[in-house]
Amino acid sequence: MATPTATAALSASVYTPGDQMLLTVTYSDADTRPLTVTIVVTDAQGNSSAPVKVTAVIDPLTLTVTDDSGRTWTRVSDNGSVAVYRAVA
Amino acid sequence: MPRVTVQVRDAAGHTATTTADYALSQPVLGGYYLSGGADPTADMAGGNFRSLTQYRSFADGYVFPGYNRPWLINLGKAGVRMNMVLELKHYGAANAGPQSFRVDVTDYTVPAPSMTIQQRPGTTWPKAYGYSQVVNGQCDGLLHRALAQYRTLGFGVNIQLASELDTDHEFGTTEDGKAYTWAESDARAVQAMNYILTWFKARTLPAGTTFSVGVGGFDRACFQRTHPESLMSRLDFLQWNAYATNAGHTALSRFRRTKDWAVADLGPVALSRPVIIAEWGVRSAEIPDQPAWIATVPAAVAQLNAERGPRIVQTNYFNSGWGTLSPRAAGLAALRTAYATRPYV
Repeated sequence: MATPTATAALSASVYTPGDQMLLTVTYSDADTRPLTVTIVVTDAQGNSSAPVKVTAVIDPLTLTVTDDSGRTWTRVSDNGSVAVYRAVA
Repeated sequence: MPRVTVQVRDAAGHTATTTADYALSQPVLGGYYLSGGADPTADMAGGNFRSLTQYRSFADGYVFPGYNRPWLINLGKAGVRMNMVLELKHYGAANAGPQSFRVDVTDYTVPAPSMTIQQRPGTTWPKAYGYSQVVNGQCDGLLHRALAQYRTLGFGVNIQLASELDTDHEFGTTEDGKAYTWAESDARAVQAMNYILTWFKARTLPAGTTFSVGVGGFDRACFQRTHPESLMSRLDFLQWNAYATNAGHTALSRFRRTKDWAVADLGPVALSRPVIIAEWGVRSAEIPDQPAWIATVPAAVAQLNAERGPRIVQTNYFNSGWGTLSPRAAGLAALRTAYATRPYV
């Protein structure tokens, strides 16, 4: 199993109280693979259902964001490799 | 300084951890300047005015606090941050002569200013102490006289060297009969500013002393030429001025113009410095509703400070010239309201 990697970047280094702060996390893991499973059910007479697709992730990654000032960071988006979080300064 | 910690964990428990630090800023200082360097105390009373721009010529025997300006000491001691613009420009008669005076125990004779600046065709060109005179040490007495007065002031100030180098140099300069182009004048000014900085920094300065170099900020090439990293490493602030003189000028566009050039053209040291807007104003001829325009300034400054690049930390309204508030009471009321609004509070 590979070790994941992560980088984090804030939208600014100094914020005015009340400003929106954005945190962009870029992350990956060599083992993590998205995959799509396509299922077709066939009965004894050879009748097949329409294909159904489901997605899964091998070795999924979990992100946790903490702030030592106690601010709460809320996830805005996450596409599996880049996640954006938001908090108020 | 708050720190965000991000941890990524896979199914097997392998983790990667990274951090990002951020800082929270103080409110932007809302400030003022009143025409003629007059006493602004009454205009500022009751409003969240926290900074002030002032102009002095090194030629003047009364640089700190200035001739007949005891109110400056009162405001400074009350916590108003002073942006003192000290100019090599001579404000007086065109035939300004040499000066002899004593500072502490040293006698100086400073020659007559040998340079002309602001050489706009069809105007009388003001005199200024020449950049060669400065780097040759002929103006040391002026620096010493200003420092001796500064030490008795009782608080630290920002010393902004020159008001607007771009305005001074736009049509070239002449020193000792030799003409210099705009670009040559900029290069000579940087040498002179470095000399003055070296002179002051070699001496004991009041606590809280900071330095910047003055520009209008209306010319991109000049802005770049006058902000080399070697100079910026010795300065505490970037500075430019922002005026609305066209009906299409928005606060955001006027405050951001020079910032965009700075971000594109300047080095990391320069961009690490916060910004003083020594003058901002809205000209009533083109924008009669000055209060409405002033009301848009807080949001514009907040937006610029939320973007990458140097932060604006002080904006001083120039109630004179282009910025003259007319009608005055409505303009002052608008300033009060603006300075009571985020990011000024």
